[in-house]
Amino acid sequence: MKEPLPFDHRPDTALGDALRGVLDPGDAAPFVARVLARAEQVRVLSWDAVLARWARPGVAAALVVSLTAGYLVGRATAAPPAAVRPTVADILIAPPAHPGEVEVVLASVIGNN
Amino acid sequence: MADLQPPPQAARIAQQDEADLVARAVAGEREAFGILVERYAGVARRVARAVLGNPEDADDAAQDAMLSALVKLEQYDPRRPFGPWLLRIVANAATDRRRRRAVRRVEPLDVGLTAGGPRPDTTAERRALSERLRQALAELPERRRIAVVLFDVEGYSHAEIAPILGIPEGTVRSEVFHARRRLRVLLADWKEEG
Repeated sequence: MKEPLPFDHRPDTALGDALRGVLDPGDAAPFVARVLARAEQVRVLSWDAVLARWARPGVAAALVVSLTAGYLVGRATAAPPAAVRPTVADILIAPPAHPGEVEVVLASVIGNN
Repeated sequence: MADLQPPPQAARIAQQDEADLVARAVAGEREAFGILVERYAGVARRVARAVLGNPEDADDAAQDAMLSALVKLEQYDPRRPFGPWLLRIVANAATDRRRRRAVRRVEPLDVGLTAGGPRPDTTAERRALSERLRQALAELPERRRIAVVLFDVEGYSHAEIAPILGIPEGTVRSEVFHARRRLRVLLADWKEEG
């Protein structure tokens, strides 16, 4: 047999056929069916993985949303904040809400005299 | 050099066709993935068997590779041919499995690989030749084995094999050359003996 050329780019059909015979895997149909059946399981598993991957941030996000919503609702329904308590000076300086009637004031002044 | 020529029209059409199939498979179309599996089942199993020898292990590795490819389909670049991309995954899966197997157990040498034994009839002769070839193939370094199978059995070019094995094209040429030389000697001896 002739020594092959080092840069021979053509396939050697005799050798190729002999090797093909050695490596022949037989009927492809059962193999294909097996792969496709497993592929279905992989798809299901990958969906599960996607859901699992999203589950943790999803739960965290839901928790944050519910806490925020609770806070906002609670704040809206709670009593308004208590008014700032006036100091003594404020009370003394501030004009009375219902000034006394002039006749009563005068009568009391006259009565004293 | 044939390797440097642009791909023929048929190859370009096939490449486009496969890019479409991959896109459809990524979109969840089972039939598209089925076509790809059918198309590459033979070569994937042969490459895996070239690495592993044992047909059952080879089929398991080829299956793992197909499923791994399904998971990674979105990473496939449709501008490149699909076959080499897939076969790289197959070769890696087979190599990984062989390494794990080597750790797990020490394989006994195949029996019945005796060279030059009695050959009572043609069927037995063919079987014996197959066994000798299988043994010779198993004795080659793994990369050389895959290279010669991809080149002489599957018809891939040196340029296409290079990315599959992750080595330069010149190294592929060298690997194919040395593998052929060893295997051709075996075939020639057999013919002369017959």
